Order: sequence, then structure tokens, then C-alpha cells
Amino acid sequence: MNAVEFSRVTFRYPTSGPVLREVTFGAPAGRVTWIFGPLGAGASTLLLAAAGLAPGLTGGTLDGSVKVLGHEAGTRAGRGAVQGRVAYVTATPHLQLSGMAESVFDEVAFAPANLGWERGRILSAVPAALERLGVSHLADRVPEELSGGELQRVVLAAMQVLRPEVWLLDEPTSALDGTGREMVRAFVRGEAERGCAVLLATEDAELGLALADEMVLLDDGSTVARGAPADLLGTELMWAIRAGSTGVGELARAASRLAGEQATHLVPPYPLTVAQAVARWR
Amino acid sequence: MIRFDGVRFRYRREPVLTGLTFEARAGEALGLFGANGAGKTTALRLCMGLMHPEAGSVTVDGRATAGLGPEDLVDRVGYLFQRPDDQLIRTTVREELAYGAERQGWAPDRITTAVAGALEECQLAGVADVHPYDLAMPKRRLVALASILVTDPKVLLLDEPTALLDRTGRALVAEIVRTRVAAGRTVIAVTHDPAFAIEALDRGVALAQGRAMLEGSAEELLRSGVAGLELPPAVVAAEQAGLRAKSLRMVDLASALARRPG
Repeated sequence: MNAVEFSRVTFRYPTSGPVLREVTFGAPAGRVTWIFGPLGAGASTLLLAAAGLAPGLTGGTLDGSVKVLGHEAGTRAGRGAVQGRVAYVTATPHLQLSGMAESVFDEVAFAPANLGWERGRILSAVPAALERLGVSHLADRVPEELSGGELQRVVLAAMQVLRPEVWLLDEPTSALDGTGREMVRAFVRGEAERGCAVLLATEDAELGLALADEMVLLDDGSTVARGAPADLLGTELMWAIRAGSTGVGELARAASRLAGEQATHLVPPYPLTVAQAVARWR
Repeated sequence: MIRFDGVRFRYRREPVLTGLTFEARAGEALGLFGANGAGKTTALRLCMGLMHPEAGSVTVDGRATAGLGPEDLVDRVGYLFQRPDDQLIRTTVREELAYGAERQGWAPDRITTAVAGALEECQLAGVADVHPYDLAMPKRRLVALASILVTDPKVLLLDEPTALLDRTGRALVAEIVRTRVAAGRTVIAVTHDPAFAIEALDRGVALAQGRAMLEGSAEELLRSGVAGLELPPAVVAAEQAGLRAKSLRMVDLASALARRPG
């Protein structure tokens, strides 16, 4: 059974036409499923629906079904059943702060306290979560005063402390420096290996290629392809829907267009990584 | 155009800047690099007069910011916040774009023309009458960017301008920066995006321990590896494959690769 299951999901925001059209796919446990497409393709909306926030919080209408850990995500009963088991990290982590915590430590302790954990359990789990995301040194800082990148990791720690079974990640590395990106990349991979289902939305094709087992390619709210990122990212389809590829893929494709079809050493599928490119171009 | 001289700043107990000195000249795009929490955003806030140094000075277009607030600087400095929602206040994109010019007392005709130009430049003409909050976050960032371009300020402060954008959006922002710099404007951009740095920025300053640890061309900084910086993968691939190109920008790498016999 898939941990997250979208069945013929069509969604409209209050002032929009359909932003998702009959989307059907599942995200299994133990794997990273990457939702990719050009801006506005619907990736973030899919995560909101899985988090039970669209249409609950956003307004709008959803047709079809979104199931998370076997429960309807959009219903009150469904949300109750998966409470603490699903972690949703938005692309705007500052909006996820509780607003109730005067320190990063208290912020990470907030959800466990709300779920009624015993004090001793909280006091051992919070430092472990901070450590895991490399933010122990921020424990005494005021959350509202953190930099964007620090905050992004604190919000991940505030979810990790609950040991969720499902991760819904929207651009989890957008504000991170190189070191932070590497850490979060390894963290997400580790969570999948622990058996979590990870649903990842990112415009960072390098991140998706490095992390994901499967890619779901969206264009204007519809699924246009599914498969291994390495198989799809080097094909012309990526440009046909204006999604693009890794930096190396972009360079390879730009050169191929300039050189024309007679340059057979440059035709697709394009290389995606430095190693692949060097092997082909040398 | 912008000058930091021995700037010190702290939030409550936490010292963030401990003697930051650097300069951004007219007609150049300068990157502020550094690890998360290095004080990059803090430096931008100081340029805008949103906060003031506890020691040292920040000079904008020949005026020290001491005693000045953002309202005194807004006619010459535009600031794209890291979070677009912090600066979007009106109910349509078009009105949002007009706001700054209206506050500065521009004539209605001049505002209409300038707003149309910025909508065009940021490829937002199609959503001019939409509520900014009905747009997805990446698009909202472009609205915020367009809103500071309308009055064509001498200085543009851009905090992570390409974050969350897709490849089309990233290329668009790089092009806007190059256009403005060519027209003599000064751009200071905080970024973790090495591809954007190569495409759009001339020079960079790497911040560490609250001061400028290294200055150089954008390329030199990325090559130095300080603060976790690295060259974009496309550049690494091109160099390892032995390509010789006019510059490290994508267009030059691609033409060098296309010219090479297979």
C-alpha cells in the first residue's frame, strides 16, 4: 500500500481554474518521490492536499481522493488519525513557527508537548532532533531572529522530533548554504531509508536527481510522465514543458541546439551530472 | 555607491557583524556570500536604514544612514525581501507596483508607464489584475521584484532573488540584473545560487565571523570554496571536459561546446 495515494485529484483554488487535473499516483514508504514541473504546474498544491490543508485551509474545491496512511487527508477524522505521523514543511518556514516559543529548543518541544508527551521524553528527544539537523548551537536563540537558512533546518528538526512516517517537503533547501544543503540531502535520504515515504517538491533538479527514486512530472496540473529521474531529465520532454533539467543538462541541450542535429555526439539523452558530461564530451 | 566601514551590529546578545568593510560601486552587481547566519541579510537591512550599526558607518549614495530611515532612502534604494509577503500590501499586482511611485509623488501618467514597463520586464503582464496572494510564492517574488523596479532606484538590494524560482524565472532575474547594471545601477545580492552568481554578478564578498573574509570576482569566490561556495556543476563539467570558453556564462560555455568537433 502506498503511504500517500492521489486518485483522480482535481483541484481549484477559490479564484482559479483547475490547478490539478485528474492526478493519480502513489508515493510508497521507503522511497523519495519527486514532483517536478515548471512554475505553476501544481507540485505545491499536491503537497497541500496531502497535508490536509487544501482545500481545508486554502479554500477551493477538491474532487477525487487523497489518502495518507490509509486515511482521507482532507477530513477531520483523517487528520486526527495521522496527527504527528505526517510532517509537512512549506517553502516558507517562517510561517510554520508556533509563535509561542521563546527559544529554538521550545519551538522543537512545542509539538511533542501538544501531543502530551511526558517531560522526560521531550527533554531527551528535542536535543537529539536538534543534533540530527545540525542546529544544536541555535537551541537558545529566538526563532523569529534566525536567518532563513537556520530557520529551514529548525523547522525540519521540529518535525523530525515526532519521528513521522511521511514527509511532505516543499523546497526544503531553498534558503540553505552548501553545507546545509548537503546535510538536509543526507537527512532526507536517511529518512527514506528508515522507511518513511517522502514526497518532495523542488525546482532544484540537482537535488531531485540526487535524492529521488521516482519522478512525477507535471505540466499545468496534469501528470505527463513518471519514471526514474535519470531516465527523464535528459530527454527533450523536459524542455517541451519548460521544466528544464540539471545545470549540466541545460548546458548540454543549449550546445546541442546551437550545433544542430549533425552533431551526433551532442544529441539527447543529455548528460545530467559532471561525470556523465565529462565521459561524453572529452 | 554603497560603503560599509567597520560596521558592527548585534541582535540582543548575538554579535552578527563585527567590523564589516566593503564597497559596491555604481554599475556593478556585488554578491554577498556566506554560511547561513553569517549576517548577509543584516547587511542589506543596514543599507536600507531599517536598522543602524552600533559602530562604524554605512554610506548610501554619499549619505551616511545614521539618523535616516527607509523613508529617507526609498527614492534611491529598492529592497527585495527574502520573504515576498513582507512587502506585498495591495489587492492587485498593478496597484502593488504603483505603490512606491505613488508614495514618491509621481504623476499618474508617469506611474502608468513605469508600471507597464516593470510588468513587461518581469513577465507579469498576464497577472496584472490578480491579487498577489492568489499567486504562488515564486510568482509573488517576481511581483515584489517588479514593484522595486518601477521607480528605477540607483541601488537594488536583492535577498535570495532566485530562491523557489524555476529555471525560466532564474534566467529572467539574472537578465534583469545585467540590464540594470548596464544602465549604471548598483545591485547587491545575497545568494546561495552559484549559477546565478556566474550569470549575474561581477564581484562578491564572502562574510564570516561578521566581517569580509574574502573579496574577488564572483568566479574567484566560488572557486575559493570559502563558506561552502562552489562552482555550478555545468561549469565544473565544462572545465573537466577541457572546454575553453570566453566566460563561464551558460551562453559562452554552450557555444564553445557546440563548436567542438565530436
